Amino acid sequence: MNIGSGDEKSLDFDINILPILDILSVLICFLLLTAVWVQIGSLDTRQAIGDNSVAGAKNPPSLWITVNPKGSVQLSLRDLPNAKNHEEEIKATGKAINWSVLEQKLQALRSKFPDLKTGVVRPEAQASYGDVIRIMDKLKQAQFEGVGLSPLG
Amino acid sequence: MKTSSFTNTNGKKSPLGSLQNLKPGMKGKKRGAAALGLALPLTSLIDAFSIIVIYLLIGTQNNGMESNIPTKMSLPTASHSVSIDKEIPTLTIQKGVYRLNDAVVSVKALTQKLTELKATLPKEAAELLVQADQEMKFEDLDPLLKAGSLSGFEKMKFAVVPAQ
Repeated sequence: MNIGSGDEKSLDFDINILPILDILSVLICFLLLTAVWVQIGSLDTRQAIGDNSVAGAKNPPSLWITVNPKGSVQLSLRDLPNAKNHEEEIKATGKAINWSVLEQKLQALRSKFPDLKTGVVRPEAQASYGDVIRIMDKLKQAQFEGVGLSPLG
Repeated sequence: MKTSSFTNTNGKKSPLGSLQNLKPGMKGKKRGAAALGLALPLTSLIDAFSIIVIYLLIGTQNNGMESNIPTKMSLPTASHSVSIDKEIPTLTIQKGVYRLNDAVVSVKALTQKLTELKATLPKEAAELLVQADQEMKFEDLDPLLKAGSLSGFEKMKFAVVPAQ
């Protein structure tokens, strides 16, 4: 026993570090190859099923947004209790939807009519799916609780 | 003996000191300071590798469903999206072709297939994830909305890329 004697040779044992590096490299390669780089989310909607209409039932106040493929957007308010049905058009900027005006209008309508919590997007056949999703996203941003998508008539 | 290793900062010599560097051809031999100039600091390499492994392990912890997005499909972006936390049936629309859980379905058979699918699902789990390219026209989505309505799928989730 050479404990405390200062003899270094008895303590000089070999730990092979290179296999550890190999294992770590293999682990890194495995994790890099199996990693999911694009995380996807979802935008939830609640659709009407079958024929949900009930005779005499009172519909909640709703905002209907008609989307034109040329970029113009029509806002229509329906079933408001103490106001007439309201219609408004947002002109396109070039061939695209004027997003900033749409956002402002949605916020203004939401603050003016607190009971307005339902928004339905009603695109035309040639409207872009990307624009439709973005409008639904704007509705969610403006605190609309029920967001739906209307099929073609 | 002087060494070039940065780990040797105090006067006492560690028994593991000689293992912290990779010294090719130095096993059991003692050479001059010139040979030590090529020493690789293995301890810091292992530290760096361990941090990368831990980072990748944490980063790849995905509790949600694993989804295969077609390579040429560009999903729309949304800032108010929610994460997909469970496995739900996926319907992909690409160039007018509908794929329900990777099986091609014709437009005519869509309602029937969705009805069959809904019958196999619990009532609260009747949801459908729709994956489609952002450049797609709405007329390609319309048959799905009608078929979903007829088959009783009330909740529809549209796959999006969450905005940063």
